[in-house]
Amino acid sequence: MSSDVTLGSTIRSEWIKFRTVRSTIMGVVITFVLTIGLGALITTAVRAHWPTMDPARQLTFDPVFASLSGILFAQFAVGVIGTLFITSEYSSGSIRTTLTAIPNRLELVWGKLVVLVASMFVVTEIACFITFLMGQAIFSGVVPTASLSNGAVLRTVILAGVYLTLLSVLGFSLGLILRQSAACISVFTSLLLILPIIAFLLPQSWQNDISKYEPSELGHAMISVTAQSNDFGSWTALVILSIYVAVVFSVGTTMLIRRDA
Amino acid sequence: MIKIDHLTKRYGKTLAVDDLDFEVRPGVITGFLGPNGSGKSTTMRIILGLDHPTKGSATIEGKRYGELRDPLHEVGALLDAKAIHPGRSARNHLRALAASNRIPFSRVDEVLEFSGIGSVADKKVGDYSLGMSQRLGIAGALLGDPGVLLFDEPVNGLDPEGIRWIREFFRSLANEGRTVFVSSHLMSEMALSADQIIVIGRGKFITQGSVDALTASAKGTVFVRGANHPQLLAALRSHHGVVSEVNDEGLSVSDLTSEQIGQIAFDAGVALYELTPQRASLEEVYMDLTADAVEYGSTGARHE
Repeated sequence: MSSDVTLGSTIRSEWIKFRTVRSTIMGVVITFVLTIGLGALITTAVRAHWPTMDPARQLTFDPVFASLSGILFAQFAVGVIGTLFITSEYSSGSIRTTLTAIPNRLELVWGKLVVLVASMFVVTEIACFITFLMGQAIFSGVVPTASLSNGAVLRTVILAGVYLTLLSVLGFSLGLILRQSAACISVFTSLLLILPIIAFLLPQSWQNDISKYEPSELGHAMISVTAQSNDFGSWTALVILSIYVAVVFSVGTTMLIRRDA
Repeated sequence: MIKIDHLTKRYGKTLAVDDLDFEVRPGVITGFLGPNGSGKSTTMRIILGLDHPTKGSATIEGKRYGELRDPLHEVGALLDAKAIHPGRSARNHLRALAASNRIPFSRVDEVLEFSGIGSVADKKVGDYSLGMSQRLGIAGALLGDPGVLLFDEPVNGLDPEGIRWIREFFRSLANEGRTVFVSSHLMSEMALSADQIIVIGRGKFITQGSVDALTASAKGTVFVRGANHPQLLAALRSHHGVVSEVNDEGLSVSDLTSEQIGQIAFDAGVALYELTPQRASLEEVYMDLTADAVEYGSTGARHE
């Protein structure tokens, strides 16, 4: 007799759970508001100040990054979505019901990962493309604009969504390890915000070597059309960030399997 | 059938379950009784594969929980009624559970109606009373129509009507030949609803038997106060009376009726001042049984 519990049924179950709580819906709304809303504010401000902007800065101005800059805020929203997807099971105690229905913990983690990655990828790509197109429309006529017909620009917009998706998996993976929402969100925020401050306190020569490995700096590299000095190229940055997330995810999965629920 | 085989669980320095060894058979309601913190919930979590045993094993129809191919079709469990995401509706909670084991959504509606919460199925679980949550937990346990059911303290929070409903429900499950394993810290509840009772304390096995047998063992004692206690004691012992307690006040005698004791005292020429049958309730038997385990857990007396 074949088992009724498969990866497919696990995904279906986790998809129902994912979309039937308000925290997910709110998280997605906030992701849209931060990405698109802040993108609109920032691009409008740039357009208004463009005529008086320092010509040297005008030369290095990146219209793609400027239109996507809302994701610097949205990255915390997606981290929270990923975290709560697992920590809410621990705070409510429903992890026990979940594991009696799906005793294979590896299958459970993969099911949750598929649901999280697929839904966050769709949400963040939509948000990134909307904010990009809206930003270019706001710039048009005054500020130089970028077009998706340029391969490097298209890559950058897509990688912006990939960056956010990876961060939601990082939040989820921290949740597997720490089990507590508040602890996870603190660690997640520290990784993105505090790490650069610590690196900033180090000697200049170290900074250049270290800061390019910071998650937020890798994100910056992924969302830059042209490679920044002291940064990795966008594909290299994607690989390094993916390795970080994969390591934290593996540790989290191992802990879920080994520990009592 | 559930088989607990020399099960031991240690959390750090705490020995939560200490070499438990028993079976839970189908067709009867088995009560799992012990004071709070005696290891009942830990044992149930290990049966369900949630906690890993330190030693020994717990199996269902010969298989560890993790080896079950269709867990919800084989085992239904209610551990903690409030352990459901408070923001989700009862229907969506059950649908997510059903989907994981390929159970059709029509079954969700069935168990909601059966449990009496069909009319509030689309309300958030966080707004449920404990009694409604218990009913939702029972609905979840029934989803896969399993042959083995585990309930951890299911009557907590239920009103009298709910308690009567749940007793009849357990009875019908057992009559259908299912294995029904119900934990409680209340002997009075188990005396009314269970056929077989397993008593544990401080993680250790204390006793096991039918409710009737335990009630019989609760026949009680006769308190005797007389003129000459040593002489009375000797006379009673020569008639195979068991004297469980002797103090300045008097003697506690079992295995003899008050009529027999009165006759023995008369024959021995000892004047009696008091002769009082003391009928212990099942609750008192349970208190006696678990008193050791609660107060002096390390002695671990194993009565049979």
